[in-house]
Amino acid sequence: MTHTIEPPTVTGHGTRVRRKQGDLILTGRGRYLDDIELPGVLHAAVLRSPHPHARIVGIDASAAAAATGVRVVLTGAEAVPMATPIPHYYDPAIPGGKTHAFRCLAVDKVVYVGQPVAAVVAKTLGDAEAALEAIRVEYELLPFVLDADEALEAGAPLLFEDWGDNVVIRSAFQEGETEAVLAGAPHVLEDEIRIQRYGTTPLEPRGYLAQWEQDGRLTFYGSCQNPHPLRSNLATMLDLPETQIKVVAPRVGGGFGHKFHGYPEEILVCLLSRLAGAPVKWLETRADSLLVGAREMVHRFTAAYDDDGRILAVRDRIVANIGALGSMAGWGMSFVAGMAFPGPYKVKHYDVESVAVVTNKAPWNGARSYGKESAALAIERMVDLIAVDLGLDPIDIRRRNFIKSDEFPYWTTAKRLDSGNYDGVLDKAVDLSGYEQLREKQRLARREGRLLGVGVAFELTPEGGDFPGDLVRGFDTSTVRVDPSGKVMVLTGVTSPGTGNETGIAQLVAGEFGVPVDDVAVLQGDTDACPYGYGNASSRSLNLGGTAAVLAARDVRERLAACAAVLLGLETDRGLVFADGWISAPDGGPRLRFRDVARQVFTRAIEIPAIDQPQLESTRTYAPTNLLHVPDTEGRVSPYPTYPNSAHISTVEVDAGTGLVTVLGYTGVDDCGTVVNPTLVEGQFLGAIAMGIGGALWEDLSYGADGRPRTQTFKQYLLPRSTDLPHLAIGSQVTPSPFTLLGTKGAGEGGVAGAVACIANAVNDALRPLGVTVRRMPLSGPTILSAIRTGAPR
Amino acid sequence: MIRTHLRYHAPRSVEETCALLAAADRAVILGGGTMTVPQLGRGERAAADVVHLRSIGLGEMAVADDGFRIGAMATYTDLLSSEVARRHADLLVTVASGITGGAQIRNLGTVGGSACYANPSSDIPAALVALGAEVLLRSTSGTRRIPAGLFYLDAFHTALRPDEFLTGVAVPISEASAAGYYKLKLSESSWPIATAAAVVRHTGGAWQGRLALGGVRATPVLIDLTPLLDGAGRIPEAQQETVRELVDDELETPWDDELAPADYRRAVAPTVADRAVTALNERLAS
Repeated sequence: MTHTIEPPTVTGHGTRVRRKQGDLILTGRGRYLDDIELPGVLHAAVLRSPHPHARIVGIDASAAAAATGVRVVLTGAEAVPMATPIPHYYDPAIPGGKTHAFRCLAVDKVVYVGQPVAAVVAKTLGDAEAALEAIRVEYELLPFVLDADEALEAGAPLLFEDWGDNVVIRSAFQEGETEAVLAGAPHVLEDEIRIQRYGTTPLEPRGYLAQWEQDGRLTFYGSCQNPHPLRSNLATMLDLPETQIKVVAPRVGGGFGHKFHGYPEEILVCLLSRLAGAPVKWLETRADSLLVGAREMVHRFTAAYDDDGRILAVRDRIVANIGALGSMAGWGMSFVAGMAFPGPYKVKHYDVESVAVVTNKAPWNGARSYGKESAALAIERMVDLIAVDLGLDPIDIRRRNFIKSDEFPYWTTAKRLDSGNYDGVLDKAVDLSGYEQLREKQRLARREGRLLGVGVAFELTPEGGDFPGDLVRGFDTSTVRVDPSGKVMVLTGVTSPGTGNETGIAQLVAGEFGVPVDDVAVLQGDTDACPYGYGNASSRSLNLGGTAAVLAARDVRERLAACAAVLLGLETDRGLVFADGWISAPDGGPRLRFRDVARQVFTRAIEIPAIDQPQLESTRTYAPTNLLHVPDTEGRVSPYPTYPNSAHISTVEVDAGTGLVTVLGYTGVDDCGTVVNPTLVEGQFLGAIAMGIGGALWEDLSYGADGRPRTQTFKQYLLPRSTDLPHLAIGSQVTPSPFTLLGTKGAGEGGVAGAVACIANAVNDALRPLGVTVRRMPLSGPTILSAIRTGAPR
Repeated sequence: MIRTHLRYHAPRSVEETCALLAAADRAVILGGGTMTVPQLGRGERAAADVVHLRSIGLGEMAVADDGFRIGAMATYTDLLSSEVARRHADLLVTVASGITGGAQIRNLGTVGGSACYANPSSDIPAALVALGAEVLLRSTSGTRRIPAGLFYLDAFHTALRPDEFLTGVAVPISEASAAGYYKLKLSESSWPIATAAAVVRHTGGAWQGRLALGGVRATPVLIDLTPLLDGAGRIPEAQQETVRELVDDELETPWDDELAPADYRRAVAPTVADRAVTALNERLAS
C-alpha cells in the first residue's frame, strides 16, 4: 500500500527563528524554581533510609522537633491520614501488572537506600538538614537483593510480600513462528548485552514550592514536566477539588523524563506547607537526583539468518532491573524496550519478552529514549554480530534488512510505522561521514597495531506515545487568542523542558496569521491559564501542542478573514492572503493591517452588522491519526503514532594499555519528518548524541555490595564534557508523517539510542583484531581492559 | 547547605593564623575552597571555625635558600603564568595545565590545598613526592619541614596537626632537571585514576631519578630510578621493563573507588609509569 504524502500546507516553518528568551537563558537571567521567593518561605529537608531493606521499628523525632529553627517534623505514620497514596504516573496494573500503594514517607519498611522516611521544615535549609541528624530511627534489617536475575530466583528477598515474587509485569511481543524458524535456520547466533543503570541528570534538579492561601487554595510551583496531571494527582491525594489547586511549572532547566511526576516530595511539600502554615520549598540535591535510576537491562538474544545476512527470526529475553518501583514513570521503559523490536528491520518472526523486576535499588523514572536505547543497543549489536559472522559490511547488512520506503505504513505487533526512508538516511550518513575513507583509515591503523573501530547504527524512535487509562495521552490542546492590538497569545497544555518548543509553536501560529514571530507569545505550565494538557513527554510537545495551536489559529484566521472581507467591502473572504502583517485581497487588491482588523473586531463588532462574533479565540485539541488502540484482525495495536529515525557512524580508538576509548569522529543523520525550526531540532539531535555517547562510555549509577549507591556528585557520575566529544557532524532528511497534520514526527529523544548502539559497535569493531567482544555497558576503561586482558572470547 | 554555625576568620598574618588554630576546636582551613566549601555544603565535614588564608599573602612563587618556594595560596593559574615556575618546577606547570573544572577552579584551587587534601586520586601529592619537595608547616610552636614522601600517611590523611597549617612547599633546585608526566583519567571530568611523574636531576655530577605514582595506592608510590639512568639521565629502553616490574611490585593493595576498581589500577599502573618515563626521555632528547 502506498501513501501519497501531501506537502504540508502551513507556512512559518522551516526557518531558523531565534529562540524566544534565549538571551535570558544564555546570560543567566532566566528564572527557575529556586528563583521564586515567597515571603516567609520555609525550607524542607528529607531524612532518607540508609538501608536497602529494613523494617521501621520506631522513630523518635522529639530532639529534631526541638532543634534550632525547626517548625515541623513529619514521619510516615503521621502522614498517612493526611493524604492518600501517590497515584502512579501510569499504573502497571492497567496493562495487567502488579502494583503497590506508595506513600510520601515510608511507613512500615524501607525498600531502598534513599527512600524518604521523615521530613523537617525549618527556617533555613541548614537548620532543616542539621535537624535530620537528630531524628532517631530504629530499623530491623532485612535481607536485600540488588541483581535482577537474583531477584527472580525462588527464595529471593521480596520487596512486596503480597506479590509472591519480584516481577512487576512480563510484556510479550510476538509475531510469526519464531521457534520453528530458529530450529530450521541456516545460521543462528546467541549473545547478550547489558546496559547499565544510568540517568539523565538535568542541570537544574527537581524542586517544589507549595503555598496554601487563606481560602484553602493551594498553589504548587514545581520543576516538573506535566503540571496538569500532577494537579489531578495532588487533588486526589489531598481530596481537594481540582479547581482549588494551581500548579505552575516555571522555566525548567532540563527534564529528560527525570521530572515526570509521581515523586514522594511533590505531595510531601504540600503537607509540610499546610502543617507549617507557610510556604515550603524543597530542592533536590545532586545526590538525590543521582538516586533516580533508569535503563538497567540485560538482553539475551538469539537470531536466525540466511547466507545473505537476512534476519529470519529474533528471540530476546529482556530482564529490566527497575529498582523498587515507586509511583514514577520508570517501569514503562521495560515495555518500550520490547515493543521497539525489531527496529527498522523487516523481521517476520520474533518473540520478545521483557520482564520488569523489582530490586532494592532506588526506583526509576523516565529517561530520554525511554527503553528505546536498550532495544537499539541489542538490535544493532545483533545485526553487527551477524555481519561479522558472515563477513558482511555493517552498512550492507542493514540495507538488506531495512523496511523499504514503499512498504509503509508497516505493521509490527505493537507498532504501525508511519513512513520512512531508512536507506536514504543511511546513505546520507555514509556520504557525510566519508565511510569508505574511514574504513581505509582503519586498515592503515590496524597495520600499525592501533585499535581503531568504525561503528554503524540505526535508530527507530517511536514517539508521541498514548497510554489510555491514565493521564499519559497522545493528544493535546492549545488556545489561540488575538487581542485588540493584534498580538497573539497561545496557551497550551504542552510544556517545554528547556528545549524551546515555545519558539516552534510561536513560529507555526505566526505563519498562520502572517505576523512576526515576536508578535506571538506562548504561555505554558500554568494550570489556571492553560487548557488541560499532558505536558512534556515522548517528544510530543511541538507535534501536538503546535498542531493544536495551528488548528486554533486557523479558526481565528477564518473569523478574521470574514471580518476583513466585510471591512474591505469584498463579496467573499475567499483567497485573502495573511502575510507580512497584512490581510490582503488577492492579486494586488485592497488590504488592511492584521492589527487593524483585530482592533475593528473588538471596537466595531455588532455596530457593523456583518461582524457579529466579536471573539478572536479558539481552543482545539489535536491527536495524530495513527493511534490505534482497537486491535486489528491480527490483534495488532499502535500506541505510538510517529517513528522518527536516524543513522549513526562513528570512529573510535581503544587504548590497549588502558582500555580507554577516544571518540575520533561522529556523524548522525536524522529524519523526524517536517522540521519547524532546524536550529531547535539540531540542538536536540546534538544533545541526544552527546547523551548517548555519555551513556555508552562513562555514565554509571553503580551500587556497592552494601546496597548503597556509589555516585553522589559529578566527580563520580561522569558526564561528557565538550573536550570528551569530537565534532558531531549532522545531517537531516525529511520524510513527513502522513498521519500528522504538518508531517511532523517528534524531535527530542531521537539520537540517544543510535549513539549508544553506534559507540558499542565501534568499540567492538576496534577490538576485533584481539578477538574479544564487550557485552557490558558502559564501555569504560576498566570494563574494556578487563575484556582485553581476560581475552573474553566472542 | 552548611548545617553548623560557623565562625569565619580571615587572618592577616601567619602569626595570627597560628594563634587562631591554637585556640580553635574544630577549625577548617580554607585555601581556594574548591573541595572544602562543597564538602561543608554536603554536610560531609563539620566545622566550628573556618580559617580562610586569602588575606595572609603566601601567594608568592620565588627562589629561596631552600629551593623554589610555592606559597600556600599560589593557584593553578598562578603556576601557569609563572616563568620562574616553568624553570624550577616544570612538572607542576604541566600538572596545572591538566586541572579541569574551568577557569573558576584554576583561579581558586591551590597546590597547597591539594597537597593537604591528600586525595589519592589527585595530581599534586605524587608530583610533590616525585620532585622531592618538602612541605612547610607552621604553628605557634614553629615551622616543621617534612619531605612530601613522609607527609602522606593515608588516604585523605597527612602529618598536618590540627594546630598547623601549610605555608608553602619547597622544591629543590638543581643544575639541570627534567620531568615526564602522564595522567590517566576516564574522561575530562574524572578524577585522575593513575598518575606517574618521572623526575631526573643533575646534581654533583650525577643524575638522580625519582618516579612517583598517584592514584594507585592510598598514598603516593615512590620508586628510585637512579640505578636505571644512563649518562644522559634517560631510562634506556632496556630498563623500561624493569620500571614496569618495580611498579607492579608496589601494588599489593591498590586504591579502589567508584571510578575504578583496584585491579584496574594495578593493571594500568605499569603502563602509566611507562608513559611518564617515555615522556621524560622525549623531554631529555629535545
